[in-house]
Amino acid sequence: MTSYSKEVIADLVAGKLPWPQTRRIMSAYKDDDRFFKYIQVLQDRVGWNDPILLPVSEHLFICDSPEGRVTKCECGHSFGDYRKNWKLSASIIVRDTEEALREIYPTSDIPDPQWMEIREFICPQCGTLHEVEAAAPGYPIVHDFEPDLEGFYREWLGRPLE
Amino acid sequence: MTHPIVIGIDAGGTMTDTILVDRDGHFKIGKSATTPKNESEGFIASAEDAADAWGCTLEELFSGVNVVLYSGTGMLNTLLSRTGRKLGLITTKGLEDMVLMGRGLQAWADYSYADRLHAVTHQHPDPLVPRRRTHGVTERIDQFGDIVLPLYEHEARAAAKKLIADKVESICIMTVFSHVNPTHEKRIAEICREEIKAAGVEIGVYTSHEVRPVIREQSRLNSVLIEAYATARGRMQLKSIENASKKYGFKYGVQTLLSFGGLTSINHPRLHETMISGPIGGILGAAYVGKLIGNDSLICSDMGGTSFDMGVITRGQTRIENEPLMDRFKLNVPTLHLDTIGAGAGMILKVDPLTKKVSLGPESAGSDPGPICFARGGTEPTIADCDAILGRLNPDYFLGGKVKLQVEKARAAFKEKCADVLGVGVEEAAEGMIDMLEADANNALRRVISGQGIHPSEFTLLSYGGSGPLHLAGCSKGIGFKDIITFQFAAAFSAFGCTTADFMRRHSVSTQIDVSGKPEAAALTSVGEKVSEVWRDLADAAVAEMLADGHAREKITTTPFLMMRYTGQLEDVEVISPLPVVASAQDMQKIIDEFEQVYAKVNHRVSRYGEAGYSITELGLVATADKVKPVLVKRPLGKSDPASAHKGIRQAYIGGRWHAANLYEMDDLQPGHEVIGPAIIEHPATTLVVHPGDQVFVDEWTLLHYRHS
Repeated sequence: MTSYSKEVIADLVAGKLPWPQTRRIMSAYKDDDRFFKYIQVLQDRVGWNDPILLPVSEHLFICDSPEGRVTKCECGHSFGDYRKNWKLSASIIVRDTEEALREIYPTSDIPDPQWMEIREFICPQCGTLHEVEAAAPGYPIVHDFEPDLEGFYREWLGRPLE
Repeated sequence: MTHPIVIGIDAGGTMTDTILVDRDGHFKIGKSATTPKNESEGFIASAEDAADAWGCTLEELFSGVNVVLYSGTGMLNTLLSRTGRKLGLITTKGLEDMVLMGRGLQAWADYSYADRLHAVTHQHPDPLVPRRRTHGVTERIDQFGDIVLPLYEHEARAAAKKLIADKVESICIMTVFSHVNPTHEKRIAEICREEIKAAGVEIGVYTSHEVRPVIREQSRLNSVLIEAYATARGRMQLKSIENASKKYGFKYGVQTLLSFGGLTSINHPRLHETMISGPIGGILGAAYVGKLIGNDSLICSDMGGTSFDMGVITRGQTRIENEPLMDRFKLNVPTLHLDTIGAGAGMILKVDPLTKKVSLGPESAGSDPGPICFARGGTEPTIADCDAILGRLNPDYFLGGKVKLQVEKARAAFKEKCADVLGVGVEEAAEGMIDMLEADANNALRRVISGQGIHPSEFTLLSYGGSGPLHLAGCSKGIGFKDIITFQFAAAFSAFGCTTADFMRRHSVSTQIDVSGKPEAAALTSVGEKVSEVWRDLADAAVAEMLADGHAREKITTTPFLMMRYTGQLEDVEVISPLPVVASAQDMQKIIDEFEQVYAKVNHRVSRYGEAGYSITELGLVATADKVKPVLVKRPLGKSDPASAHKGIRQAYIGGRWHAANLYEMDDLQPGHEVIGPAIIEHPATTLVVHPGDQVFVDEWTLLHYRHS
């Protein structure tokens, strides 16, 4: 029933919509076609043509490429099959010393590096920081989630994937 | 009919209502859409509508009246649209971030319940003064008024210079505990004025102790900021109203309504006290009607296009709210207490396609574009559209026929957007929507009454507002009121209430006076002296202001009051002092006794707790001067058959089926008449729906009593 133009959704994604309008959209029932418009807006933004199936984070997407469904950075770098943890193919900065942590928290308290480290996952091609993890040293890299694409498209969006 | 003597005009969010009253208590009302950009247009259009109804021209009307009362929305709109003055703020060093932090509740105030729960929607209102134009100066006064740190004058001077260089239009000054000791605020103001003079510019200076010398700095700050920010344009709007009245021959100054229920000239020095005034008129009107019918426990309920306002008078006591919200800012203005929920005929209806959940509002279609049936560009179905679809509103008699309702258009849109989504018939869906609105209002009324701790059978419900009578039956059903009353002038009842007000000033100041549970005579005497001294100062200030407004000294009466609590409590009770001055220990004891009585009335006699001692947190004074007031005329009861007001039959859908409802002209109903439902009683400005089996009885004051079957 409710529907917004693609321009409005583009501004919403870009954070350029005025606050009162943003709040109205938040308070209203979700527009029926939001997901597909959202995907269109993202597709226009990225520099490649493989259709986006699902955004994973702000600059990271699962898309349908000639090599199958892969996790891809906005710059076009592929992290491989979407069912594998893309973080394992990223460049990683591990902050596990006081100096390294102090770099990002120059004026506030920092965690004890014996108890917690910060891992930053970065695109090896364009340098975009895609994800940050705070974990105990030695804890394995977290696989955030493995989406059920077929089920999501079929049952939630009512438009099954071919 | 003689000539009108009072014009009362109430500009609401949607409609501007006018009421004309003559010396014998005859009324005529007029209505027109509110014109927020230039309120005088709506004012004149509404006055003209009323003049037409009276049968005179605008010139005849304005040249003959003694009083023009206007309560409008100009200042509120200035605030809402953030189009006020450019401000600078000087405050105690360390408190500069106060404007950004605000009060937590300001982040969600006025939100719907769902949004209140969804913290992601919370957002503080934009501050009226940006952080970069807020300057802290070193100084400190403690809660006893002692100077802990002296004022660093060079810092104040530098701040003033910076603000002048930033080209501010007003400078606000708010320091901590200035309500106890304003020395530093006064000195900062002096420094600002010196610098302003030296720079050769015109900048207003506002200090918080002059605007509201009371405790709690966040609300005091908001009060002074809003006064500086919004009242300049508001004053211009009021001035334009006055000029428009004078153009048509009005000889005096226009009056406006204070939020605590008095009148003042538009030159009032603290104009933000008039910002919440519209709904206040209703409570004043209710108090007046209560005296006529001999019941001092009343609930007044006002349903317009956007909101449903409820005011309570419990055994003659009205409640004062000291920190009301305005555009989500917590202010410090004594205001007659109102409970408000979003419920009105302009509410936009939505149906969630997924869950089929229906929601009303909270948005209202307002007057522009208005409901679909107005055919002014509205595209979302509203409650008013449902009323039109069900035949409850007369499509050819809305605003006396000035607006032709496009029922078919409303029906088509409602069917598509609501009924079809729900999968039920149009009439069933439309009545369901109305039932939901009425149930919301009904619940709100029950909640308000249960908060009083008094049985509903003691209360009389007064229903008014453009859509009050239309939904009266559902709103009041099953609560068990002693009586339910509505009026021929329901649509302008708030405006009517304004005309019953007196000229008034209310001055008050925070105090910290404690009296022990079993005080010695000497202690009482000393407290009494302190109290009397404050009252004397307040009386001088209030009387001076009223004299400046042109009132004669002998017409001004002053009534002192106290805000008191049992020591340790968090809420105050307002006590009207039984004595003008406290001359002895006995006098002070009388005041304490009065507090105990009021406390017992507002709460319950067993909840008194004198052992804890008493605290006086605020001392104040109300100065009033009399004004001519309308009188309702009492006429003998005639025969009960209302045939003389009968004007036809219309199909109306009530309670799940269509009825052939009798139509009556409201103004033609006479004392003694009894109307039996299903019936619809029409007035150009309002419609009363009488459900099947219910009755309406017209009493000797021509008040309409609604009786459920």
